[in-house]
Amino acid sequence: MNPSWRSRSRPLRAAALGLGAALALSACGDADDGDTITFIAAEYSSDTEPYWQELIADFEEANPGMSVDLQVVNWDDIDQHVTTLVQNRQQPDVLNLNKFAGFAADGLLRPAEDVVSAEVRDDFLPGFADNSVYEGTQYGLPFIASTRLFFYNTDLFDEAGLDGPPRTWDEVADYAEQISELGAVGYGLPLGPEEAQAEFQMWINGNGGHWTDSDGNWAINSEENVETLEFLAGMVDDGLTQPNPATTNRADMFNAFAQGDVGMLNGAVFLPGVIEDQNPDLNYDIAPIPGNEGHEPSTLGVQDYLMAFDNPGNEEAVNAFLDFVYDTDNYTEFLSTERFLPATDSASEAMTSDAELAPFIEALPEARFFPTTRPEWTEVDGAVKQEIGTAVQDAEPREVLDRLQQRASGE
Amino acid sequence: MRPSATTTGRVPAGRARPRRTARLEPLLWLGPALLLIGGIVLWPVVEMVLTSLREISRTGVPRGWAGADNFSALLDHPELVPVIGRTIVWVAGIVAVTVALSLGLAQLLHARFPGRRLVRWALIVPWAASLVMTAIVWRWMLSYFYGITNRVLTDLGVIDSPRDWLGDPTIALLWMMWVGVFVSLPFTTYVLLAGLQTVPDEVHEAARVDGASRWRTYWSVVFPLLKPALLVATVINVINVFNSFPIIWAMTRGGPGNATDTTTTFMYKLAFVDQSVGQSAAMAVVNFLMVVVMVLLYLRAVRWKEIG
Repeated sequence: MNPSWRSRSRPLRAAALGLGAALALSACGDADDGDTITFIAAEYSSDTEPYWQELIADFEEANPGMSVDLQVVNWDDIDQHVTTLVQNRQQPDVLNLNKFAGFAADGLLRPAEDVVSAEVRDDFLPGFADNSVYEGTQYGLPFIASTRLFFYNTDLFDEAGLDGPPRTWDEVADYAEQISELGAVGYGLPLGPEEAQAEFQMWINGNGGHWTDSDGNWAINSEENVETLEFLAGMVDDGLTQPNPATTNRADMFNAFAQGDVGMLNGAVFLPGVIEDQNPDLNYDIAPIPGNEGHEPSTLGVQDYLMAFDNPGNEEAVNAFLDFVYDTDNYTEFLSTERFLPATDSASEAMTSDAELAPFIEALPEARFFPTTRPEWTEVDGAVKQEIGTAVQDAEPREVLDRLQQRASGE
Repeated sequence: MRPSATTTGRVPAGRARPRRTARLEPLLWLGPALLLIGGIVLWPVVEMVLTSLREISRTGVPRGWAGADNFSALLDHPELVPVIGRTIVWVAGIVAVTVALSLGLAQLLHARFPGRRLVRWALIVPWAASLVMTAIVWRWMLSYFYGITNRVLTDLGVIDSPRDWLGDPTIALLWMMWVGVFVSLPFTTYVLLAGLQTVPDEVHEAARVDGASRWRTYWSVVFPLLKPALLVATVINVINVFNSFPIIWAMTRGGPGNATDTTTTFMYKLAFVDQSVGQSAAMAVVNFLMVVVMVLLYLRAVRWKEIG
């Protein structure tokens, strides 16, 4: 359509090649001395990069001769970035990501006991440590946690004459109908590719379902899950949600909630910050995530990891750096900068006084996590993000879930 | 040492030498370009084909040869046929509309009127602006919650409630094709304008003398002379639209599901959403072959022009 795309991309490609060659060369250099390590961090917010830069400066000052090459990559690109590096055998020394099992299954990681001191290991909250194990060995280092809670706009609730948060799915649907009559979105359902897997899990957990059954086999197409999707598709059909959940991303939904356009949604720890930024006058409240009749409320716990790649010669610097990261002062500073929940005992104690985080910390013991200990999760996660939204619009819920189950179990 | 000693010893061989270096001389000049072509074009192609024949783990670790497994998995993919069909609609639709509109625009810019230079410059803007930027601006204009399109159309009474333009696959595809047309117009118009300028005045005069109407002059005289320019514009557009990634990626990411994917975005998603690098490389090989066919058609078209 426009020939400049091609001509423009050529010099760019050449530059990329040059850069790649330079990186490859510098990577070779690192392997030799082992005192320079590469660290790829996910970008949680605009504060992430300054935080790591400062921490690394302190680390390098405290450990003369060691240095850390930092790359902060945004969530949209990080999977692709890391896959490309692994494919070219240029994996980083330390990585911060929301999954680890695939790397462990490919034998790329070093076990936790070889990379952090016993003191740090004993400090991890047991639930998080259990969730970092692949085939009996802990490879992931629990880094941050986050839980989700139900947010509702109290002004819209008052206007519709509703009192208090809904406790069951039927109440959610009923309230959503009354709110949508006011011209707002009743329930905000973000099943777009950004975080569809999270929204979906919160709903299936509320119906007693999960990604796996009690024996640990994949059970994405269980009856509970089919029923859940059918319920959601019904809400969409009845106009109780925004019109096109399959393409609505979480960020769009959070913004719309902050603007007062949405009655209810499942929000994250950082949603109050978004509201504070955009519309501090919004009146809202937080409640447990409602479940289907007869099911307890549950919440989604999200856990991200640090992990150390088994690159020869990097042990000393990697271990020193990771112990430095988990130093209680350094670690709590990261958590309070980014508004995340702690994955260690000492940081939990240090942060109990934080009133804004309190309801999320309280929900943590009941939280259910993504099946990140399974190597297939990487693939399932990608497929769910793309396809689950179609099941509440045009596609048949059961067929979509059958396909995902097939993907997961490899049959 | 020895070969040089023997060559200097023999007079005829010594005389042959400068001729051989002379024959090699062009290589010296071509060398850097050949190296670049080899490194930037050929090497990635080889690498792509090799990858398509390998089994690669989810995290990117090569696990050995896979034979044709990646290709058969790709052919079994339920979305492959719809995606290819959509790609054809995408390419044919954008190119046809672009060329039709550009014919008119080129005619307009060829005419003399005050401010023509300004209009010619203005037409370059969509071409000069970054594609991703253009696509993102359109995405925001079409946004369900904040988009200006909904505001304008509801105020005008065309629609009675806001629509999620990019949420419905068919409508989203039409909007994206419009953006595709929008960014393709400048190049196409300029190629056709250049074509128009090669039509000699004598031809127009002769047609006038023969008493041909304006339409008749256009269709029977100007249009046939535009054919070479038209052909070049069409083929280059076909290749570019086929390879177009940024518009779709910035506006819908090929979603919902794969409902607005073309083979180009589908290939990307196979690798980085489905974590199936091998299958994605197989798709890349298929895409590459299709582009090669189009390039061959282009080369034929260009030669046809020279002969014509």
